[in-house]
Amino acid sequence: MSKKLAALLFFAFLLVFSAAPLLAADTTLTVGQGAEPVELDPQNITDNPSEEVCFQIYEGLVGFDVVDGKLEIAPRLADKWEVSADGKTWTFHLKKGVTFHSGAPFNAEAVKKNFDRLLSGKYKRSTLFSVFLSEVKVVDDQTVQFLLSMSFGPFLHTMSHTAGIIIDPTLIDANADVKNNPSGTGPFKFKSWQKGEKITLTAFENYREGKPKMETVIFMTIPDDNSRTMMLETGELDIAERIASFEVDRLKENKDIALTIQPGMRVMYMAMNNLDPILKDVKVRQAINYAVDRESICKNILKGFARTIDSPMAFAVNGYAPVKGYTYNPEKAKALLAEAGWKPAASGKVLEKDGKKLEIKLWSPNGRYPMDMKTSEAVQAFLNEVGIDAKLSTMDWAAFLAATSKKPEENNSQLFLMGWSPSTGDSDWVLRPLFHTKEWVPGGGNRSFYSNTEVDALIDLGMTENDPDKRKEAYKKAQELIVADAAWLTLFVLDNVNGRRSNVKGLVESPLELLFVKGVTKE
Amino acid sequence: MLRFIFRRLLLLIPVLIGVSIVAFLILHLAPGDPAQMMGGIEASEADLIMLRQKFGLDRPLPVQYFMFLKGMFTGELLSLRYESPVMEVIWPRLKNTLALASVSIVIAVLIGVTAGVLSAVKRKTWMDYTATVFALLGISMPVFWWGLLLMLLFSVKLMWLPSGGMGTPLHYILPSIVLGTASAGIIARMTRSSMLDVLRQDYITTATAKGLSRRLVVGRHALRNAMIPTVTVVGLQFGQLLAGAVLTETVFSWPGVGRLLVTSILARDYPVVQTSLVLIAAFFVLVNLAVDVLYAVLDPRVRYHG
Repeated sequence: MSKKLAALLFFAFLLVFSAAPLLAADTTLTVGQGAEPVELDPQNITDNPSEEVCFQIYEGLVGFDVVDGKLEIAPRLADKWEVSADGKTWTFHLKKGVTFHSGAPFNAEAVKKNFDRLLSGKYKRSTLFSVFLSEVKVVDDQTVQFLLSMSFGPFLHTMSHTAGIIIDPTLIDANADVKNNPSGTGPFKFKSWQKGEKITLTAFENYREGKPKMETVIFMTIPDDNSRTMMLETGELDIAERIASFEVDRLKENKDIALTIQPGMRVMYMAMNNLDPILKDVKVRQAINYAVDRESICKNILKGFARTIDSPMAFAVNGYAPVKGYTYNPEKAKALLAEAGWKPAASGKVLEKDGKKLEIKLWSPNGRYPMDMKTSEAVQAFLNEVGIDAKLSTMDWAAFLAATSKKPEENNSQLFLMGWSPSTGDSDWVLRPLFHTKEWVPGGGNRSFYSNTEVDALIDLGMTENDPDKRKEAYKKAQELIVADAAWLTLFVLDNVNGRRSNVKGLVESPLELLFVKGVTKE
Repeated sequence: MLRFIFRRLLLLIPVLIGVSIVAFLILHLAPGDPAQMMGGIEASEADLIMLRQKFGLDRPLPVQYFMFLKGMFTGELLSLRYESPVMEVIWPRLKNTLALASVSIVIAVLIGVTAGVLSAVKRKTWMDYTATVFALLGISMPVFWWGLLLMLLFSVKLMWLPSGGMGTPLHYILPSIVLGTASAGIIARMTRSSMLDVLRQDYITTATAKGLSRRLVVGRHALRNAMIPTVTVVGLQFGQLLAGAVLTETVFSWPGVGRLLVTSILARDYPVVQTSLVLIAAFFVLVNLAVDVLYAVLDPRVRYHG
């Protein structure tokens, strides 16, 4: 009897609790992120999940609108702006009547306080601005001037970056814990943070564009891809980010779920050490480019959720130019290797030169990017086909970065898989850190030790020029030269795949792997 | 007894110092620059120098070790990744893992001991074979696969239970079953074999011969003695659950310390990793101490002297 009673009680318990937590209210939006945000101080964050949450809480003077999958600079807290003829003074006219979540007014003084804080050099994103920004001056309550140390072409793009968004000045004055208790002018107010689990935001009733429809927005951390997808299927999540490619077909059949698949800004590439004794020969680098069938990798390994690209920057990046690259041609690869002196050996498939075998180290992260290890294995196999013995090895990300950022004389990298997504959405933030001679690691981000004085001059021109057409022209030439030099083996642009419940409307998905939920409704 | 406990607690000190030194050295010997991990791939050289100075990463290793020890005692030790005091980072997650591991061990003991006793008493019957098969399955089933299977059935198909996160008692059910499965298997095997040993003892024959019911013989006379080795296993398993919860935490999006530990290792967040390891080691030692004390409770012959 008691056993029966226990069983009955158990099922009653299940029935009472089962449906309840699975169905959230119509004004609550639950978003599943793949990683936990680290902190919510916009001047200090370097990770994508934190940026995404920050963009719901704060706004900058300008921001990105997403138009046809591309980013366009649009007003946010500033109504309009102008730049001086020498390009060194930017004047912003601020919106009136805007308040922060705390009730503090938004004005020129608030802007100045923010940038003074950033320029203090104590935050991780300080140098993004300190390169060009000398001072921020209050002209009057609604006008603020940015005085630059040099004319800076990507100024507005940089202002749209997370580091340029405006924190409530009362927090700055109080030296408050911004990273755990943020306040801005954005559509949602910070409510609570259960570390490791979720961040809860509530609608800001005095938002300048009117109170958002969603009363509550919850950002949950769901690290496992399968679990994230299942939670979208059960309705525990309204939105699931970064759907794994192998789940897409199954989800497409589910009419309760809608998917967005669009090219992102992350270009995947095999960086090549241009100083390496074997790879310093441009013919070898070009041969490697001809040897790898990128189409096949996109189709078979990335299941079609990646698009081949020749330029080192993604289609949506401001300044991208379609340039002529290398199409799969193993015969041409072999011919180029022969011209470089690498000839078939007496035995075996691997080419030789002066009795030395053509062996190249190929380093790959594992789990850092979608299908990274599989991509590297495919590249290894393609290289093997033309007589290059690529020795594949993997290491964890910290070790990988350490090994590839050693100074030239200690650096023994050769070929290594990496990805880059410029957080400002502008060419400058691809070409300058990754290809300028001054940016060689360890001082910068140029891990390939690529150097071309002509390219350097074009990058400098693009950085200091304010005329968009002249910048585009300079960047187009730079892209052509980089591709002709075969500085990298550029592979593909990854698609961003996000899933949502079909009743979720009005979501804005940026190619910068960020979602904006202020206009979301649930029907 | 009290003196015994006190002495064992004193022993914690050298153990923890040893653990902290080993953890410190292993982490610092592994390649990787924490400043680079903090600043991200876009960080400039100036950013990295600023970060190294801010967190003392440019100081000699022995200095860094003593800074770590001092920081642990004063509570001023900061996580490199979160830039918050380490205990503020670790404790909320450790609490969640402790809660999950406690529920799991209760489930594991209930299932494991019941199955173990049944298969010993009903040796070589279908009950024994079934229990054995399930115990072996439980021990060998990969956590990821088992977790996803349960989630598919109970969350996606039947919609009975939530598939991730925490908050209600229902959120505990799937992750604690998954986390406890392997332990239940191990406990079942251990209980079965020690129960079989005990059932062969003369005093059990005596108890049966003097006319006691089977239930009383098994329940009172055999089980208590058979539990002694099982208690050791349960203690060890509890420690294991705490340290090994990372996979379950990942599958069920459980905000626990296992996931934190893995993220922190990958991010080279030295202070968080070192402190977590010291805490987990301390916990392991304390659980073992509790097991030793339990021996005395279970077996009147065991007496500890100071």
